[in-house]
Amino acid sequence: MKDLFIDATERTPAVRFRAESCELSLEGESYPEDVAAFYGDVIPVLESWSESDAVRIHVLVRLIYINSSSMKALYRIFDILDNGRELGKTVSIRWCYLVDDDVMQELGEDFKDRFPDLDLFLEVVE
Amino acid sequence: MQIESAIAMRAEMRSQGVIMAYNGEISDELMITLAEILKRRVGSEVDPKRSRSVFAVFMEGVQNLIWHSVAPERAAGMVIISELEAELTVMCANRIKKADSVQLRETLVQLAGADKDRIRQLYREGMSKSIDHEGPGAGLGLLEIARRSPYPINYAFVDVNDDEVDYFIAARI
Repeated sequence: MKDLFIDATERTPAVRFRAESCELSLEGESYPEDVAAFYGDVIPVLESWSESDAVRIHVLVRLIYINSSSMKALYRIFDILDNGRELGKTVSIRWCYLVDDDVMQELGEDFKDRFPDLDLFLEVVE
Repeated sequence: MQIESAIAMRAEMRSQGVIMAYNGEISDELMITLAEILKRRVGSEVDPKRSRSVFAVFMEGVQNLIWHSVAPERAAGMVIISELEAELTVMCANRIKKADSVQLRETLVQLAGADKDRIRQLYREGMSKSIDHEGPGAGLGLLEIARRSPYPINYAFVDVNDDEVDYFIAARI
């Protein structure tokens, strides 16, 4: 497993993965011109986590706007996390959304509905 | 084009409350530029929630237009944003293959008859299917628009020839 640090841009989130502590965070906007290229750097890191002997992961998602094509990548990320859970790993996810952002709140609920066995905690932030 | 026609066109746009109109080749870069202008125009300070919805609907509409044009490498279409009595309409139009319009029409009919709970259910099912969706998108663009708009999506298909149709959608926010 390797660390991954990608700085945020106007169109892409900051992505941080610390291999030692198994912490992943996605924060910011997500509407890259090439979704496959952007998340193509993120997904292999999670796959290597899933295949490693790591026993847990803490995930923080704090997105402002995510376009529908980024949803495919985010769904893939959740799918890998859920596979990790099935392998016996402990997965905890904090899904943060702005206080008046019911779209991101609902999206968090939608992920909860799709992945009912994942420990997904919705949190309002100011 | 004669100036008289431009004058008439401008008068028509004013009466329809047009705040932005574009017709021609459209790139990802142009989409972002227009989206930023729109974001400022809608006033993110006054009503951030509405501003986010307008931004999202515009982005999804134009993204669809770029990806589903007859010639995606030189995507072209029409984007018109209008505002009348505090109701904003995002309209997108582009030429698509007639074969592609069949599925599209089915989806639009389904969305037009769906309430918010049903749209949300369709969105959730779409999330699960997104992994297998071919192409750059996730197959969620229209659902995203339907979700953000309080009203049903309006649409029209106009035959161009045996193989192509002009496709229009309008979402009100």
